[in-house]
Formats: sequence, C-alpha cells, structure tokens
Amino acid sequence: MGLSGALARLAVRATRVLVVEVPGHWATRMEVEHQLLRRGWRPAWTPADADVLAVCGVPGPELSELVDRLWEQMPGPRVRADITSPGTVGSALDAAAALLLDTPHHRTDAQERAQEPEIPEDADHGGHGGMGHGGMDHGEMDHGEMDHGGHGGMDHSGHGGMDHGGMDHGEMDHGGHGGMDHSGHGGMDHGGMDHGEMDHGGHGGMDHSGHGGMDMAPGGIALAGGGEDRDGLEMDVLHLPLGPVLPFWPAGLVLRCSLQGDVVVDAEASVVDGAGAGGPGPGPAPAAVVWCDQVMALLALAGVEDAAACARRARDALLCGDEDAARDAVERLDRTVRRSWLLRSSLRGVLLLDRAGLERHGLPGHCRGDAHDRLLSRVERIRAEAGGTEPTPAEDGGVPWAVVPDLVTGLELASVRLAVASLDLDPHPAVQAVGHG
Amino acid sequence: MLVGIVFWGLAVVAVAAGAAVFVVDSMARATYALALSFIAVGVQILLLGQSYLGIITILMMVMEMAVMAVYMVMFMGMNPALMPMDMTHGKKTAIGASAGVFVLLAAGALLVPWPERRGAPPEDLTRALGLEIMGEKMLVMAVVGPVMVATIVAGVVLAAHRTRYDRLGDDLRRRPADDPQPGGVGR
Amino acid sequence: MAESVVTTVPGGWAVLAGILLCGLAFFAVALDAALSARAQGTGGGWGAPLGRAARLLRQRRRSTVAADTLLWRIGGAGMLVGAFLMIAVIPLGEWTLADLDVGVVWFNTVDVMVWALVWLAGWGANSAHGLVGGYRFLAHGVAYELPLMFALVAPAIAAGSLSVGEVAAAQDGVWFVVWMPVAFLVFLVGVTGFSVWGPFAPALAADIGGGVLAELSGVDRLVLQAGRYLFLTAGAAFSVPLFLGGGAGPVLPGWAWVLVKSVLVLAVLVWLRRRIPLLRPDRFMEIGWVVLLPAAVLQDLVVSLVVVWKG
Repeated sequence: MGLSGALARLAVRATRVLVVEVPGHWATRMEVEHQLLRRGWRPAWTPADADVLAVCGVPGPELSELVDRLWEQMPGPRVRADITSPGTVGSALDAAAALLLDTPHHRTDAQERAQEPEIPEDADHGGHGGMGHGGMDHGEMDHGEMDHGGHGGMDHSGHGGMDHGGMDHGEMDHGGHGGMDHSGHGGMDHGGMDHGEMDHGGHGGMDHSGHGGMDMAPGGIALAGGGEDRDGLEMDVLHLPLGPVLPFWPAGLVLRCSLQGDVVVDAEASVVDGAGAGGPGPGPAPAAVVWCDQVMALLALAGVEDAAACARRARDALLCGDEDAARDAVERLDRTVRRSWLLRSSLRGVLLLDRAGLERHGLPGHCRGDAHDRLLSRVERIRAEAGGTEPTPAEDGGVPWAVVPDLVTGLELASVRLAVASLDLDPHPAVQAVGHG
Repeated sequence: MLVGIVFWGLAVVAVAAGAAVFVVDSMARATYALALSFIAVGVQILLLGQSYLGIITILMMVMEMAVMAVYMVMFMGMNPALMPMDMTHGKKTAIGASAGVFVLLAAGALLVPWPERRGAPPEDLTRALGLEIMGEKMLVMAVVGPVMVATIVAGVVLAAHRTRYDRLGDDLRRRPADDPQPGGVGR
Repeated sequence: MAESVVTTVPGGWAVLAGILLCGLAFFAVALDAALSARAQGTGGGWGAPLGRAARLLRQRRRSTVAADTLLWRIGGAGMLVGAFLMIAVIPLGEWTLADLDVGVVWFNTVDVMVWALVWLAGWGANSAHGLVGGYRFLAHGVAYELPLMFALVAPAIAAGSLSVGEVAAAQDGVWFVVWMPVAFLVFLVGVTGFSVWGPFAPALAADIGGGVLAELSGVDRLVLQAGRYLFLTAGAAFSVPLFLGGGAGPVLPGWAWVLVKSVLVLAVLVWLRRRIPLLRPDRFMEIGWVVLLPAAVLQDLVVSLVVVWKG
C-alpha cells in the first residue's frame, strides 16, 4: 500500500458527503446525516468539497439531470451512492468508503472525465445544483443556428426565430445564460452597431469590437443587465437560483432569485420535477421530527453550531423513538435557544410578520412575529410533543411554498435563507401535493 | 550590493505592474496590478530606511485598492463573468498628459542639484518624521482631520435622499427607525 | 533604536517560528474538531486535522468556467503566506525574528492584506456565491478594521513605541489588558475578523454554500483553510506581547509563557466560535461604527490621559 495507501485511509476518515434529498425521502436523508456523523464524516455544502454524492431516494428526470451535473462538478476521488431506503444507508456508506480507497479506480476516472470544466448547452437555472455559477460555458455554442426552443428551463420563450446577426439586445432577455439579464442594455443594436453613438451606460472604455457583435465574454457568458435598485440607483441584476441542492434548504424547492448586490429584488418559486414526481417516499414525517429538522436548519444558518448540533441530536432521538434522550436534548435545546441574547439579536427583525402581513399572504397564525419568535414557538411545540405533557395543539397548517417569493422579495440573501428556514414550509411539497390532489 | 539589486528589482516590478494596469483586460487585475506596484514602492521606501512610511504606504494602498475594486465593479456594472475590457480611455490626451508629466518629473530628478547629505539620520526615524511633519503644524493637522471627516459625512448626508424624517417620522419619535436595511444596534 | 529590549535571532530561526505557528494552528484545528465531535455526541475528533489534510491533499484541484485562476490562487496562497509574515515581529520571550521599530504597524499591514486576499479568492472563482462571500468579507472589513486600528494604538501610546518588544517590556507590573480591557476586546474582535473566523465567517457560511470556499477543492482549499487557522493563531499570539505582558510570568521562562498565553487565547477563540451566531455584515456594520469605534477611541483617550498624567 505504501504512502498513498496510508494517505487514502487517513483521508477516508474525514470524508465529506453531499446529500441530495429527493422530495419525500426525508427519512433516508436523516439516516444518512446521522450515520455519517457517527463515522466522523461531515456533510459537504458544495460539490467542490464532496467526496461522496449521496442521493436519497429515486430522483425524477429534472433532479436526475441536476444530480449528474453535480457529479460532474465533484473534483474526485468521487463516489456516488444511490440510497433508496433508510435501511440501506449503512451498507451504501460502507461501499462508498471502500470504493474511495480504490486509488487506481479514481485514477482511471480522472483520466476519462472531461479535463476542462464545461457546462452542457441546455443548462437551466437550477443547473448548478443551486450553486448558481455565474459562469456557464456557452463558448462552443453557435448562436447563428441556436435553437432557443429546446433549452429546457431557459426563459427564451420570446425569441423563437431570432436572428442573432442583427439582434437587438434592448429587448432580449438572456435570463437563461448563466442567469444574466440582458434587458438593461439600453437598446443597443449589436448587429450593425455604431460604437460612436452607443450608450455604454457607464461602461466607460469597454471594447466591444472583439465580440462579434455579441455582448459576451469569451467564455460565452452574458453580461448582467441593469435596473433601478431600492435606492433608485442603476445596478446590475444577476439571476441566482437557490436550491434544490443547497445546505439547510427545503428539499426540492427552487427559488430563482434576481439579485441586485445581495438583495433579492424578484423571485420565483417552483418545485423540482413539479408536484407528483416525488416517488414512493415513506409518507409524511412525524411533526416533531420535522420541526426539529427545521430548527436545526435555522440554527445552522444563523451559525450557532452547538445549538444546531443539539437540535440534530433531538431530531435523531425522536426519530428512533428514544424518548429519554429526546427529552433531554429538547430541554437543552430550549435552554440554549432561550438564553442566547446573541441569537436573539441575530434573528430579531428577520421577516417580521404582523397580523396584517399574515392575512395578506394567507399564512397561519403561528408564523406571527420575526424569525426569533417563530423559533421559540417552534421549540415550545417540540417540547410539548416530546414531553407529552400537554396535548398537541391543533396544527393550523404549514406555509405553502408558492408564497415564498412574495415574502423574501426585498431581503438580502442571508436574511432570505433565515426567513425561509424560519417558516414552517410544507416540507415535501411534491408529496403533499400528491396527497392532497 | 544585495540591497541595491533588490531595490532596482523592485523598481522594475513597480513600473511593470504600473504598466500592467493598462495592459490587462480585467478590472480586478488592473486594480491589483496597481496594488502590486504600490507594494513594490512601499518596500523600496522600507529599503531606504523609512520603515514607517514604507509600511504605511503598503497598508493604505492595499486597503484602498480593495475598496477601489468594490467601487469599480459597482460603477462599471459588471457581473462576475470577468468580462474582458479595455482599461484605457481617452488615449491621446492621456498619453500626452502622462508623457508630459513624466518628462517634467524625470527632468526635475536629473537636473535639480540634489543637496549633499549632512550629518547622520536621527536615532528614532519615525519620531523624527512625525515631528518634522506635524511638529510645527499640530493645530492645523488637528483641525484638518475632523474637517475632512465632517466633509465626508456631510457629503453622504446630502447625497442620501432619505432624511431623518423618513426614518423617524415627522415628529422624530418612531422607534425603531424605519430603514430599508435595519442595522445591528437597533436605533 | 538605542537599546533593544529583545534579541534579534538569525533568519534561520524563522523555520522554528514557522513550525511553532503550525503546531499551534494544528492545536486549534484539533480542538475545534474535538468540540464539534462532542457537540454532535460522537466523541473523538482530535485526530481530525490529519484526516482533513490528507483528504484535501488526495483530492483533485478543480477549476470553473472562465475563472480568473491567477487571482484565485493568489487569494488562497496569500492567506498561507500572510500569517507567517505576521509572526515575524512577535517576540518569543526575549527573542524575535525582526525587531522592527514599527512592528505594530507591520501587524496591521499584514492584516489589511487579508482584505485583498479574501476578496480575490471570492472573485477569482467566477461564482456568484464566491463573489457574495468576498463582498461580505469586505463589508466586515470596513466595520472591524478601524476599531482594530484604534485598539492597536492604545498599547502603543502607553508604551510610547510602535516596537512590539518595547510594548511587551512596558508591561512590567501591570499588564495592559488590566487597564485597557476595551482595546483588548476590540483587538480580539479584529483578530476573529481578519481570520474570517466564527462570527465573522458569513463570507464562508452555509447559506451561500461556503461562499469564498464554494468552488475550492483539494490543495487550494487546504491552503485557504490553513491560512485562516494560521491567521487566527498569529492574531492570538500577537495579543500576548500587546496586552498580556509578553513573556512575563513566574517559574517558566519567557518563551514558555508566550506559548502558554497564546494557547489560552486561541482556545478561548476556538471555543467561542461554536456559541456565537454569525454576525451578518449588515448588522455588524452599525455595531462596528457606532459601538466599537467610539469605544476604542475613548479607550485611547483614557490611555493618553493616563500617560500624560503619569508624565
């Protein structure tokens, strides 16, 4: 084995796993999270940091494509583990660990795969697994013959038979190209454009001549368009998809955000593979487990790692029915959350909803207040559930994901994440939709 | 000898990095090429024995370039796509002006009869430098600082379209203030 | 300088200083991993740094489409180099690598370099998340840097010198931390700030998929992460001559005391990370300018008055 073998064995002890949850397969995901921590492994936040890609459940066509793209982005040595049920988690992770040690296999893998980063032509918004790369490679695309109709998910609908030779960028929305919006280019005509009279809108001494009339960088990446920001100043608009594969994010939810700086000025929500493609999941999760999971996500996003770990332990104890451990963990979670004034100051004022706001968005009463209020009430409900001391208060419904865009518009990115995590979103919208439909 | 070589090497780096500002095709690279140029000059000042001036040059310039990169990207309106762009602008005037200034300064450096060194440098150079710059003019310096800060603050206040009445209401009693982005203190 | 209070050792000793710094940083990683494992209820964790480093050494490097690779790599590697530059002026007891007469300003200059480095690392990847991370860090920088500068001024005024050795020597009797606690706290805030550590890590946070780290893998990720830990260690070590009396202490020799105090400060910083939530830049900006900056300036005023009063 020698040195590289020893290095590999040492490395496998610190494996990082990118967990992809197919909507509905919460139980498998939680089991994976539980088991990888027990092995001393950690979850990865991005494909760049991942050694193992753990797909929990059977993804539908859209998510499959995303998963393949995530797989392409993993640096290697890389192992993919398709886990269809909680029962097979252990063996799947064992197999992954064994395969990770197989250095010759990874050497072959590294030689066979593409050597340069590239993005398939039909890249859509969520294409980067929610990681929102600004730069997609459209370099080899032939714009003259490009068929915009076939770009699944791209917002090119209005450009059917567009002739790029003499196109008018002023009306074009390139929203799909790496998420850039061309709409703000002041009616430039790049086909026969006149640089002398062109309004560069602040682009000072930019040299457009080398771009064959297309306003693109050599990588084929479209420029950002502009728009008025909330202070009334002209500012770039960048399109960034959040989800469906993003740490501490509701499974399957995709939020296509238009950003100015890091402020979300517009958003559009959807569910990956639409409603109904969730596949056979284990059914709706016990309420207390879901709440614990949501509390963990919120605490992790707020950056209090000890408290988040506490919520995670409470969740796992509840899941495996260990009531004493669950009660202990929940009590500790409750104390930690209640005592931390820093946490309060961090979450205070995030997505403050008063009675009028609740009515306007059609939200249930337990969403009232800011993220911190919702956190406290959630922990309180978990306590009631876990302690069994009082009857469970009647659940007055979760938050439908369709209202999320209205709620987060105008917030900056970090607050958007906290706001989404603080809401009692229907955890598995696809499954729920099937159930109700 | 070694110091001499390093000094001239740094001089080449400084000039080359300065030229690179106009050659590279990305704002980030131009900005940090300029930073590199300033760092080389800062180290040269260090080699001249003026440690305070040298280090403070590096400190100020790196900080300034970091902030400048922000403003450049902000005002030029660029996405992270690293759009290549020509970093020159108004070429004829600029070349004329810079050539003129260069000739003037170089001629000055070569033609002015530089004084011979008298005496030895003081023991504590930083202190001597401080006294030389500030000593006689402490009052002026003490006034100029606050005036500059006040100018900056006044400029921002005049430029912002929101006033305290927008924040705190017509009777200035609204608490907490109504801000598009609330701060962390809760004023 | 007439009489130097510290002995400058030949340059070859820099290797030892580097090893010491790496050892302390290793301790920080191990402690963090152990605390994390304990919080998760899994036990162990002390060996984690080796495993993590091995994993990243084994992992392949990667690039992104249209990345500015030059700037990207400078950002990462610069973090590693910067921390070593910082410790050059920290006296280990009676020895120092460089008895710079403006050592305090040197420290400040190196920490300002982090502004450029983190932003470059975020910019170069050509990823929206990395860019958001880079800008988050700059926003933090604008808020913590001025208070940090004024906090550095306080010990310098009290010692009447910008030389780190003289600042340490000026504390025979009363350590500066005793009568300038505000400056000490602001200094620690600054250290966590330029290490992109704990509450100042929104640039690397989960909500943007790791931000500046989002696209880094393999050895590139290793150097940036190691750089952060080294900066944290160097910052903690710098607090010793500045506020904690340098090598002063009973029984043990000076160098040992410097190490012990550094380890203690480092352990506190590592421990606190797990308990303090992220300070988002939009919130911390106001705290930095409205609370920390005036507090640090007032501290400077108090120190100046004491110095003038004592003559």
